[in-house]
Amino acid sequence: MHRLGLAVNCQTIRKNKGFCMAGPMHQFEIATLKPLELAGYDASFTNSSLWMAIAIGVIGVFMFVGTARPQLVPGRWQAAVEYVYDFVRNMLDENVGPEGRRYAPLIFAIFMFVLICNLLGLLPWVGAFTPTSHISVTLGLAFLVFTVVCIVGFWRHGLHFFSLFWPKDTNIALGLFVFLIEVLSFLSRPFTLAIRLFANMTAGHVLLKVFGTFVVTLGSFGALPYVFGVLPLAVNVALTALELLIAVVQAYVFALLASLYLNDAVNLH
Amino acid sequence: MPQFDFANVFWPQLFWLTALFAVLYFGIIRTTLPRLSKVMDEREDRITADLASAREAKEMSDRVAEEYQAEINRSREEARGKLAAAKLEAAKASKKRLAAADKRLSAKVAEAEQQISAARNAANAALRDIAAEGAEAIVARLTGDAPGRKAALARVDAILGGVN
Repeated sequence: MHRLGLAVNCQTIRKNKGFCMAGPMHQFEIATLKPLELAGYDASFTNSSLWMAIAIGVIGVFMFVGTARPQLVPGRWQAAVEYVYDFVRNMLDENVGPEGRRYAPLIFAIFMFVLICNLLGLLPWVGAFTPTSHISVTLGLAFLVFTVVCIVGFWRHGLHFFSLFWPKDTNIALGLFVFLIEVLSFLSRPFTLAIRLFANMTAGHVLLKVFGTFVVTLGSFGALPYVFGVLPLAVNVALTALELLIAVVQAYVFALLASLYLNDAVNLH
Repeated sequence: MPQFDFANVFWPQLFWLTALFAVLYFGIIRTTLPRLSKVMDEREDRITADLASAREAKEMSDRVAEEYQAEINRSREEARGKLAAAKLEAAKASKKRLAAADKRLSAKVAEAEQQISAARNAANAALRDIAAEGAEAIVARLTGDAPGRKAALARVDAILGGVN
């Protein structure tokens, strides 16, 4: 908690044009860029909103350029968009079946959003913020998936959707027990989905920042400058590669779990 | 951690996430993806159709090649039959011609043999006369007494008969 205090301290110092080394948690600090209030709720435009908007701008350019003039024999941009879309479509075909194609745009949107937010957050120097390192954002996305799964489930199967939780061929007592566990696990899905992504992103960025701090502190060792900073710098380079991998893998995992949950709703196992 | 400062952090992010994701889904994905998936489906259909027509063409060419092979085999068989028949015919004809030539030649040989034996008989007859004449002349010169043609002939016949 004192780290949080340090970070807040830093903000005040920065306002006074002073210098201060930010703590590893400072990067997750929400900075209000334009205060806004809607129906009594705080809806300020923050650095998180800004980077979400940048991510959507990047996705928009990618999509609009890639599909500007779709052709049977695709150009580079179109091939890139198709590659990602094909990836999502195959994932849905494998995990949901032929019914799954209908949800391809939604899963594609979620995948692209998480992926681009994760990747943009890794940009050094530009003060990048990672919206997906905030549980508010990941929880919002996870509840979007959860809501869609519930709607699809009840819309396709009605109250029969509850048979998803009922074990077949068991007596009532055991059945009720399993039913309870299944309902709890179903209700916990949005939280696990949200926490997985948030925790991965947060941990990665904290690690990067910690080693970044080591570069500065060890590199500024007076008697032998720079030399000791090389090792943590090398570690940071390797970590950045790892974080790139994690950024992609976590976006994939998020989309994969979303399609698995959709499979439950569409096919009831 | 700033993330758990829900009072200050939750609503602004949720509001902007909802708004921006709506823009992303309805404004970007929904307007661009259908065009792309239409083209991708078209391409898939086209490829399937092309593959089907290629398969069909291959089947047809296979069938034609099979027919061609069968035709070749059939005509080869036919040619072989014709060749055998022609060979048989030729053998028959040459046999016939050989027989005819044989006949003709043996007739000629027989005629020649006849002529030879005739010539030999004639020569033998002439030899008898000459021998008798010679013997008559020799005896007349040696003895001065002509033995007469008949006696000489008888002697010659006796000797020639002994020789022959």
